[in-house]
Amino acid sequence: MPVHRLDALVFGLVLASFVAGGTTSAHADETCLSPYMAKIVGQEDFVYVWTLGMEGLGDAQDKLVTVDARPTSPTFGKVIHSLSVGGRNEAHHSGLTDDRRFLWAGGLDTSKIFIFDIASDPAKPKLEKVITDFVAKTGGVVGPHTFYALPGRMLITGLSNNKDHGGRSAQVEYKNDGSYITTHWMPDEDDLQGSVKAGEYADGYGYDTRAQPRLNAMLTSSFTGWLNYMMDFGKMLKDEEAMKRFGKTVVLWDLHTRQPKKIFDVPGAPLEIRWALGANNNYAFTSTALTSKLWLVELDEHGEWSASEVADIGDPSKIPLPVDISISSDDRFLWADTFLDGTAHLFDVTNPREPKEVYSKKIGSQVNMVSQSWDGKRVYFSSSLLANWDKKGEENEQFVKLYLWDGKELKHQWTIDFIKEKLGRAHQMRFGSAALYASPTTEHDVSVALH
Amino acid sequence: MGAIGPASAHEPLPVRGKLDFDLPAPGSYALPDLGDAADGSVLDEEGASSSLHQLYEDKLIVLSFIFGACHDAKGCPLSLAVLDQLKARCAGDPELANAARLITMSFDPERDTPEVMARFRASFGGEEANWRFLTTASSGELEPILESYDQSIQAEFDEAGKATGQFSHVLRVFLIDREKRVRNIYSSSFLYADMILADLRTLLLEENASAAAPAVESISSVDLFGLVQNPPLGLPPVPVPEANPLTRENIALGRKLFFDRRLSHNGTISCAMCHVPEQGFTSYELETAVGIEGRTVRRNAPTIYNVAYAKRLFHDGREDRLEQQIWGPLLAANEMGNPSVGNLVQRIGGLEDYEGLFQAAFGGRGPGMETLGMALASYQRTLVSGNSPFDRWYFGQEKNALSESAVRGFRLFSGRARCGTCHRVGEADAQLTDHEMHNTGIGYRRAMGDPGDVRVEIAPDSYTVLAEELLAPISETPPGDLGLYEITQQPDDRWKYKTPSLRNVGLTRPYMHDGSLGSLREVVEFYDVGGVPNETLDPVILPLGLREQEISDLVAFLESLTGDNTKMLVDDAMAVEIGDPR
Repeated sequence: MPVHRLDALVFGLVLASFVAGGTTSAHADETCLSPYMAKIVGQEDFVYVWTLGMEGLGDAQDKLVTVDARPTSPTFGKVIHSLSVGGRNEAHHSGLTDDRRFLWAGGLDTSKIFIFDIASDPAKPKLEKVITDFVAKTGGVVGPHTFYALPGRMLITGLSNNKDHGGRSAQVEYKNDGSYITTHWMPDEDDLQGSVKAGEYADGYGYDTRAQPRLNAMLTSSFTGWLNYMMDFGKMLKDEEAMKRFGKTVVLWDLHTRQPKKIFDVPGAPLEIRWALGANNNYAFTSTALTSKLWLVELDEHGEWSASEVADIGDPSKIPLPVDISISSDDRFLWADTFLDGTAHLFDVTNPREPKEVYSKKIGSQVNMVSQSWDGKRVYFSSSLLANWDKKGEENEQFVKLYLWDGKELKHQWTIDFIKEKLGRAHQMRFGSAALYASPTTEHDVSVALH
Repeated sequence: MGAIGPASAHEPLPVRGKLDFDLPAPGSYALPDLGDAADGSVLDEEGASSSLHQLYEDKLIVLSFIFGACHDAKGCPLSLAVLDQLKARCAGDPELANAARLITMSFDPERDTPEVMARFRASFGGEEANWRFLTTASSGELEPILESYDQSIQAEFDEAGKATGQFSHVLRVFLIDREKRVRNIYSSSFLYADMILADLRTLLLEENASAAAPAVESISSVDLFGLVQNPPLGLPPVPVPEANPLTRENIALGRKLFFDRRLSHNGTISCAMCHVPEQGFTSYELETAVGIEGRTVRRNAPTIYNVAYAKRLFHDGREDRLEQQIWGPLLAANEMGNPSVGNLVQRIGGLEDYEGLFQAAFGGRGPGMETLGMALASYQRTLVSGNSPFDRWYFGQEKNALSESAVRGFRLFSGRARCGTCHRVGEADAQLTDHEMHNTGIGYRRAMGDPGDVRVEIAPDSYTVLAEELLAPISETPPGDLGLYEITQQPDDRWKYKTPSLRNVGLTRPYMHDGSLGSLREVVEFYDVGGVPNETLDPVILPLGLREQEISDLVAFLESLTGDNTKMLVDDAMAVEIGDPR
């Protein structure tokens, strides 16, 4: 393995501290990835967009699209690379290894995992490996969703299973080299695995996973199984049986032992989990897609964990469908996108028990993911939720947009129209920086946080 | 904090405070096998050549990487401090004092010579301590070790492009067992001596536990062949076509195929994904099925219990033989999505785990359009289920097999409620179907009714109403469904669907061809009001004027139609290894 050298012209290399009690910096989207990895705290160079192929558009395949995010570059705000992977796999989320050399991207339908080398040439990712036997290896887990870096390995949540395509699922661990390690099934009514129910439910469903090593805590949320996330959205809403099959729980785990400890009732399909990472902020947020609520999971002074509903997101009666959320680096603000009305909402979460919406802006006919830079000044939005949940016809806008946030409003910088570019449905965005791997002869104006 | 090295080894190390959480009890959790811990050529503190594995001996190893000149207090100095704590903890544990060894390896061989590493050793307990400090003879010997342990190192440079002598690295610490397998990997950012200690003790407890784990009994399948030869009470002999006699081999092959997701074009859907054994060999999670890539299937997946007796297949009755029927879903673009017969046959022929199976089942014939259908048909024919409480009461003369309510329900069923007109009960057996096509109005309502606003359950017992204009942008145009008419093109056949058998109906919700009725009570209530009036409504369907108790009695009767072998058939099905893409 070559020894990589850090660019001589990196300005202000930040040696971030991630030691217990040693940091006052919390994480924006860039840093919510995993506390175990280096962070880009300056200007990102690239945005990697995991994109779903669309039937009848371009080559109709899933692809990793690289967008140039360097403001001084002549191709700023343009697609500079696109790598098709074959088939439509229901491309969804992606995650970086702890050394940020590889980007793992999953397909919720085929359960394939595509591992991209983004270190050798960050402007041109290469497809290093495809895991095709995820379901067989894991004992039946379907729909790899979250890719969350742990030291030397990847923690992956599943959304479904190969027996009934319902919501019962698991967390899975892989080594960074792509070899399978183990499976941890979600606790359910049949097997609580030593955990206790704080409320009524133990559904065994999965969605996101996020860790707070300082508290040896890990939280998982719960969405729905293959049958629902693959189905036409309108058809599903009308299907009374299908609507009974949504996650109702958040599970607290012992991070070290991967054992579930406590199951909270969080009805309405809790999705993304975002830990506050201030040294004394022992809480996390999640949002429920169907009930349109912001929830707080917190540790109190007596050492007890609890989950409570703390705010509405949009008008819950219209099911605006809050999807991605992103907490600012100082734990003060939180972006929440509502998919159906294409709106970004900014909440002041200084008091996490009483979030207040302080700003909102319509981004497009639909909006899903939001990724903000470490300093919160650049906010990227993408459009696609799931192939069969996206809007139809003219309202099926597909884009990545960059806005600048000046503390008062979002100012539009550029839009890449993924339909006009014949790319597909733009889903998750991850940031890249050449400075993470660059030689001393190349020039970059970025900062990265390493340790 | 300065660098920890020969000149500063005496400086105070960063100290970790009290943990913010309770430690897990050693032995209360498992440490998975993370693969082999690689070997490599190293130099010890004396400059003697050795190998990592020689130094691992048969100890429990905690392996870390450092560089001596590290200036980052949260990097190498921190890991040394934590390991120093760990060393002290191990020394205080009689078992671990002998069993565990710390090994710290430099990734800066140019400056971290054996002499430097010897001084490290002296600073951290000397020869008394079970802590070795290693380096390599050259970067050439170092690199394969770093690669094996997946350690990414970056040299740092100043603004003039000159090496600063510092490295940025994602530092990992490895826990290695006596078999030289990695059992945990820690980050320097979250390294706690007590946590590693708990893991070391967990490994010791694991060794002490009996190595003989209880053998898992393989679940043998039931005698499906025998079941077909002697069908349960209430069922007639199983019709088996002469051209496809049942054998144990073709049943076993069909059973394997039925649960193989590789039978769909993209490896995601098996027959069993819509005909889920635990869900009555149908799906109770959906009103209408979902196919490949989530594509809409417009009808409810029918149960395949007792499908051997069906004279018509599919809700619209368009097929009459199971051997042919299977190609419907296999080739439908919205079900299993295979592009052609040949493509699927060729793919199955290339799967190692099918090697020889077709030939053994079909007298030397390999995978093909016919043999695939024959195998799947054979397995499905074995799913006969009878000897229900009703069968034992009606055919077996067991007076107490049915509740009084169910008995009253049966009298209504075959009397005033006229259910038995279509769901027939014979003298010697009961298939509970007439195998005919009828219009109940369910299809008419879906085609001609106004969908209006939709009440959506957003959480248990919590609903909201969505207006049509909110649903329109996220809804595909619903596919039409005219039932038998689509096959015959006869206007009188509009919205006619096959009469399903009612056997095991208590297990096969939701009901009707579109799954629109969620419970048996709703079904009875639907017929009680005379279905949905329309031009070709079946004349047998008329308002019944049932009392509440009578509705309950009919439901009790329907629930008495569950066969006594369903658990056995489900258990057998669940024991099949699911065919997933490899």
